[in-house]
Amino acid sequence: MNARQWSRDLAMGVRFAFAGGREGWFRATLTAIGVGLGVALLLLTTAIPNALAVRHQRDVARADYTYVFGHPMKAGEKTFVVADIDTPYRGADIRGRMIQREGAQAPVPPGLTKYPAPGEMAVSPALKRLLGSSDGTLLRARLPYRITATIAESGLTGSQELAYYAGSDNLAAHIDPPNVARIDHFGSPRSPDSESDPVLTLLVLVVFVILLMPVGVFVAAAVRFGGERRDRRLAALRLVGSDGWMVRRIAAGEAMAGALLGLVLGVGFFLIGRQLAGTAEVFGTSVFPSYLNPSPVLAALVAVLVPAAAVLVTLFTLRGVVIEPLGVVRTAKPARRRLWWRLLLPVAGLAALYPMIGQGRGGGNFNQYLVTGGVLLLLVGVTALLPWVVETVVGRLGEGAVAWQLAVRRLQLSSGTAARMVNGIAVAVAGAIALQMVFAGVEADYTKRTTNDLTRAQMSVQVPDGVQVPDVAKAMTATKGVLKVVSIADGQAGDKDKDPSQTASVSVGSCASLREIATLPSCHDGDAFALKGSDSETDSETAKLLTAAEKHGRTLYLNPAYVGDIHHGALSRWTVPTGLKQAESRKDPTGYERGGFLLTPGALPRGASTAVQGVVYLSIDSGVRDATEYVINTAVRIDPLMQPETLTSVERDGQFESIRTGLFVGAAAVLALIGASLLVSQLEQLRERKKLLSALVAFGTRRRTLSLSVLWQTAIPIGLGLLLAGVVGLTLGTVLLKMVGSTVRVDWPGVLAMTGFGAAVVLAVTLLSLPPLLRLMRPEGLRTE
Amino acid sequence: MNAPAGSLLAAEALRKTYGPTVALDGAEFSIHAGEVVALMGPSGSGKSTLLHCLAGIVTPDAGSIVYAGREMATMNDAERSALRRSEFGFVFQFGQLVPELTCVENVALPLRLNGTSRKEAERTALDWMQRLEVDDLGRKRPGEVSGGQGQRVAVARALVTSPRVLFADEPTGALDSLNGERVMELLTEAARSTNAAVVLVTHEARVAAYSDREIVVRDGKSRDMERAV
Repeated sequence: MNARQWSRDLAMGVRFAFAGGREGWFRATLTAIGVGLGVALLLLTTAIPNALAVRHQRDVARADYTYVFGHPMKAGEKTFVVADIDTPYRGADIRGRMIQREGAQAPVPPGLTKYPAPGEMAVSPALKRLLGSSDGTLLRARLPYRITATIAESGLTGSQELAYYAGSDNLAAHIDPPNVARIDHFGSPRSPDSESDPVLTLLVLVVFVILLMPVGVFVAAAVRFGGERRDRRLAALRLVGSDGWMVRRIAAGEAMAGALLGLVLGVGFFLIGRQLAGTAEVFGTSVFPSYLNPSPVLAALVAVLVPAAAVLVTLFTLRGVVIEPLGVVRTAKPARRRLWWRLLLPVAGLAALYPMIGQGRGGGNFNQYLVTGGVLLLLVGVTALLPWVVETVVGRLGEGAVAWQLAVRRLQLSSGTAARMVNGIAVAVAGAIALQMVFAGVEADYTKRTTNDLTRAQMSVQVPDGVQVPDVAKAMTATKGVLKVVSIADGQAGDKDKDPSQTASVSVGSCASLREIATLPSCHDGDAFALKGSDSETDSETAKLLTAAEKHGRTLYLNPAYVGDIHHGALSRWTVPTGLKQAESRKDPTGYERGGFLLTPGALPRGASTAVQGVVYLSIDSGVRDATEYVINTAVRIDPLMQPETLTSVERDGQFESIRTGLFVGAAAVLALIGASLLVSQLEQLRERKKLLSALVAFGTRRRTLSLSVLWQTAIPIGLGLLLAGVVGLTLGTVLLKMVGSTVRVDWPGVLAMTGFGAAVVLAVTLLSLPPLLRLMRPEGLRTE
Repeated sequence: MNAPAGSLLAAEALRKTYGPTVALDGAEFSIHAGEVVALMGPSGSGKSTLLHCLAGIVTPDAGSIVYAGREMATMNDAERSALRRSEFGFVFQFGQLVPELTCVENVALPLRLNGTSRKEAERTALDWMQRLEVDDLGRKRPGEVSGGQGQRVAVARALVTSPRVLFADEPTGALDSLNGERVMELLTEAARSTNAAVVLVTHEARVAAYSDREIVVRDGKSRDMERAV
């Protein structure tokens, strides 16, 4: 056999791929679309690391680290003042900065050509659109500045990012790091922390393997579209003298043609998808098309491996087919599938993962190759075991109604086709179950339950310097959707006017507000209380301060400097009243338990309001739409630097959340892809059986019977596939959890949800294939002329 | 329509087009119980379309078909399906046997569709297979039997419900002459034994020789040759 013969046979295969008129083109197009979708997804995956890197670089380049180490920076030629005024709007995060240029050489923020003047702002294109739309009316009220510029791509991390820079001329007066600070450059002074959490690295690795594996399965399925028709054509070639190897090479050529066309389509899909990606935002993350540049090496690998895989898959599948000249091409009874080698794959996978069990997170150096290989083998094990499971189970299924019988017999005769159809779903679900388990298992390490009591307040507002707490409380009370306002101002009292040796907290509020932080015996304006019951140390500090006060004529000092205010206010003296009432401390809505003294406004010495900083807790009416937005707007109207906070019960680690989001985005894309593949396979099978379906309908078979039979044909292998996916997923999840040293706990809702997603995809595919099925079942299908 | 006296199935002025192609253009037809009528004509003449119309598989654009005194145009799809299931039998040239079912299951299928229990249906199926001399193929699948055997299985399946009309579209088209003749002998014998009418589409004169009467279809028009055997 020489190369010439090989190339001649392959070329003939390529010709056959597109020959055969409409039917031939239809088949080639199906294969190409299938392979193309897979290739596009693979290219997208190879582009993700680059996209993440560019996003990260842009984020670092615009960073304005406002933490001041050592002495505060003095105004100079290069300095500017920046205030972090990020704000949420209807669930989206808006990056906001207020900036004031001080020196002529102060750097301009990335993406801008000049500083916005006071009262003006530069916005990202997405924010500009939002502000111009009816959806942005409330936000427009919050950002009343005139839009004079657009932030360029270099200043943004994604096309849909909401961001703005507002100009100011009096920020310097409010410097209060880290919220408002004077700095002289953008960007991080240090290289970003390269030490990554081994558990998160493991998760990223597994997410990639688990998401890419079904794509591979899908590509393998796509090159087999139209297989039965191809086998008949090959039989005809045998009739005219081709030998067994020749027809195999011709078949390989056919598959290669489809795969090559698919490769071209895939690049096209990727380029279209790349452009579309610039207009979309998924789970709060967007990118610019320019970010999505596949790594050249990985892209080249895709270009080589996909056609090669197409050829190999074709040759592999032709193993079980006897192509004879007289058209009977498939062995009447295929050899019984063997279990032993199929079991070897998952066992080998487990063996690869075993050495890493118990390494935990303590410096856990997971071997990336073993992890990738182990997970791959376990998942490939699903695709190897599933045909055996389907064959074994359907071989034992008994008789039933006609629809059931037709389905079971069909599955018994070609269980491999059915198993292939659901392989992708099974692998995706197995992987998703495992990851869900791991996420649930390690979630506690990456999430923190807060002490907030959401039944008492859902928002809090820190009142900045220079703003009167009662003004804020009044404005909030008048805000739509606010049910209750609790305002407390906190400061420190000391035994001396400077460098006090004894200090204690002082909290000021109305009787109603003070009742939110203490149990009061009775309360009138002008009352003061000593708090007890927070913790013994705080209580003893308060007692010591009281003793110290006795020595100085019961005088204590309230100094704004005690609470960090370096600009405002003067020292105030407070004479501790005789017969100071006692009050029992209680947790405020954020779980903080105060000690020291409680003062009603009437008890606070004149001029001492600058020595305390206010916080306002708000109870929100959940029935009022946009209530939180109204609150934020009220706050910003009082002071643009005021940032109300929505209280939550749980705080999550950002990186952990990103990986989880990545999993959901990827899983959604993969399931959609597999759903498309299932639909194409289903339609192809129905087309193959068009004549038979028509004949069955001609002699009176009810359409319901045939539809039900098609449903059973999908439901039985899917049920088995999901069962196997459950077993493998739980096994993999258990192993991964043991690797990271977490307690093994099955997240049943997660397992059910993932299985449900898989089942939903199949149900959707079955429903979508019903209209064409009904069309194919018309008895007119008997007509051939 | 005035159906010919005593006819079981009759059609008049049938017209059917597929796009620009006129398949039937005023075709007429009638058949009595127990009668074997051959529809003859060259390829594309409209004979299969006529058979499909008569069997209620295809609805004609115009004209009338009366079966057992009932106008078929007044029947809905479900009624026509029920009619095909219980009153009619079908044999096609190929592609009618369900490849994944065994031969006996294939033959029993129409009975099972009518609600007969599996055991009962398969017992009746085996009786018919015996009459068509293929009872030894019961447990084999269609892919494992020869073309002639498969066609006899198909005839058994068509007759298993004891239909009043058997429609056979080129039943021997894919068989050699020896096998074809054997199939025709068995088919007509079995049909006559149950007094079933047979509508036989063929373009072969030796197959048409098994009929009592020939109707030639050409360019969508029919011509009754009134040939008695």
